[in-house]
Amino acid sequence: MGLSMDVKMAWRNIWRNPRRTLLTICAITFSGMLLVFMLSFQFGSYETMINASVTIQTGHLQVQARGYHDKKQMQLVIGDTGKIVEILQQIPQIKAYSFRALGFSLVSSMDRTYGALVTGIDPVNETGVSRLKQLMRRGSFLTPGDLDRALVGSLLAKNLQVDIGDELTVLGQGRDGSIAATVVQVKGIYSSGIDEFDRASIHIPLEYFKEVYDMRGAAHAAVIIVNALGEVPDAKTKISSALSDTDFHDSLTVLDWEELMPGLRQGIELDLVSGMIFYVLLIIVVAFSILNTFLMAILERTREFGVMIAIGTTPGRLTKLLLFESMAMTLVGIFAGILAGCLVTYYFQVNGIDLGGSSELLGQYGISGRIHPKLSIWSISIGPLAVLLITFFAALYPALRVRRLKPVEAMVAV
Amino acid sequence: MKNMMIKILILIATWAIICPAPSSRALDADQLVEKSFDYVRGKASVSTVKMTIQRPTWEREMIIMAWTRGQTDSLFYIDSPPKDHGNGTLKKGREMWMYNPKVNRVIKVPPSMMSQSWMGSDFSNNDLSKSDALLTDYTHSIEEIGTHEGLKVYVIKSMPKPDAPVVWGMQKLKVREDLIWLSQEFFDEDLKLVKYMTTLKIQRMDDRLFPKIWRMQKADETDRYTQLEYMALAFHTDLPENVFTLANLRKPRR
Repeated sequence: MGLSMDVKMAWRNIWRNPRRTLLTICAITFSGMLLVFMLSFQFGSYETMINASVTIQTGHLQVQARGYHDKKQMQLVIGDTGKIVEILQQIPQIKAYSFRALGFSLVSSMDRTYGALVTGIDPVNETGVSRLKQLMRRGSFLTPGDLDRALVGSLLAKNLQVDIGDELTVLGQGRDGSIAATVVQVKGIYSSGIDEFDRASIHIPLEYFKEVYDMRGAAHAAVIIVNALGEVPDAKTKISSALSDTDFHDSLTVLDWEELMPGLRQGIELDLVSGMIFYVLLIIVVAFSILNTFLMAILERTREFGVMIAIGTTPGRLTKLLLFESMAMTLVGIFAGILAGCLVTYYFQVNGIDLGGSSELLGQYGISGRIHPKLSIWSISIGPLAVLLITFFAALYPALRVRRLKPVEAMVAV
Repeated sequence: MKNMMIKILILIATWAIICPAPSSRALDADQLVEKSFDYVRGKASVSTVKMTIQRPTWEREMIIMAWTRGQTDSLFYIDSPPKDHGNGTLKKGREMWMYNPKVNRVIKVPPSMMSQSWMGSDFSNNDLSKSDALLTDYTHSIEEIGTHEGLKVYVIKSMPKPDAPVVWGMQKLKVREDLIWLSQEFFDEDLKLVKYMTTLKIQRMDDRLFPKIWRMQKADETDRYTQLEYMALAFHTDLPENVFTLANLRKPRR
């Protein structure tokens, strides 16, 4: 009369109608598999999206002067870049870093002028933190020793009507408030697929930037790429604590990609919400199928339950039995679903999914080509756990209803 | 005789209907803005201005030479600091150019940049050329009348005309009855104060009373502002056409 007997009975009961049980299990398996795959796909695409975006503009992390991100003032600089190098080199999570300096300026060709963000980049280290070199469409990337050479966004180049070898006049404001002016020659044209970036940015060598904008050795940001997206919080904490031990803990700060690109984060959240709506619908459908199975079972088995009550089975035990039956089916379905989901996801994780036609849309986020779903403890567990929870509640109603049966009436039921 | 009286009365009545009294308040506001604008700029002027950009951590001073003519034309170039010597700006009508002697190029400032800060100061390109947008793109009304040093002060509310290509949602101008500007406030579309300009040290300069100091600051910041101090100011009836040309903008200055 122990628990094991109830479990055994439940297990036998569910196989008394194998076709119905298998169909129910299949529904659960399928939904579990779908949820595992979809969540893995979504998380994978976010990681692709984030990595694609950070390697165009912001990096995973940036060390900046406090307030620079909001105000973008030339005067808010990292004065002692040497000290920052020392700190960054000691943190194992950091894969690459590079310094940049930025100034909003007027950029003018023969007879056209546009406002653009002029960024000074280190030709060597920049390749470690951004894909700018791979994004070159014409001409070539900056090389060490280049001075008055510029890389121009494709849309800006089109607007200015310039091509490789043409001259651009740049007029901005230096760190000391003086007028920064120079003439640079277009060396390369890049296209990232992010219109805003391609329309309003040019890149010049960092050393030349420092000279023109009177930076006196200072830079505006140390752009950092870590080994994997998941290591960002850890690396951030380490940099923060290393900074707080230095003299400039008040003036410098560390920002992660979410703070640097709040729009990307919001986009992801929005996408997640619309995904959730789909998942909830899926789970509700599964829940109704479970509910249906159980209601059917109770109608069919009224006589059986009547007999059980008559020979002394308590209503509580009957409820327990029915819940065991439902849980047994659900668990079988869920484990099968997780297994199948992992297999399918793993296949695509290795091989990637070609996005084909929709890649134009995703190009806005800097995503190109293939997306690799990513299995994680979360993507495996969240969906199936939700199914488990919902099916439990779906089974609760019939399981409680059975307690209201009157043995004599139930035994004569068909 | 009675007949004659009636005729005269009718005549007076007719005259009164045909020619109503020219004293609507809106007209006064328009006239005040336009007249004070002309008073500030004169028909033409030549001046030397010290611009001070005050920030919590640093300060910067520039000496600027300026020529203005009418309501729209102006030319100014930086005399000192030596590093920036010879940088010039020409505004003609709605167009604006900047010249830099180091690269020896003239850049046309696109219209989208006219509301940007000039040389990192709190003045925008438009402010500095005392743009005539206030005259052409806004409708004015007198909101309040007060006093300042025994003189009447008019507070004029200026709202943008529908579809006018303007930056501000509202401007408020404080003008003394002798046409001297006391302050100018700039509001955004939500009618929230963004920045304001106040004038100080009203004194005789050349042929008229004129505020020596014009200070522009953001609404919520007291430790940062930009100040224009007139070192020398002379009003002229006209300046030659060739002052306000690109060729003159490029001309080397001493």
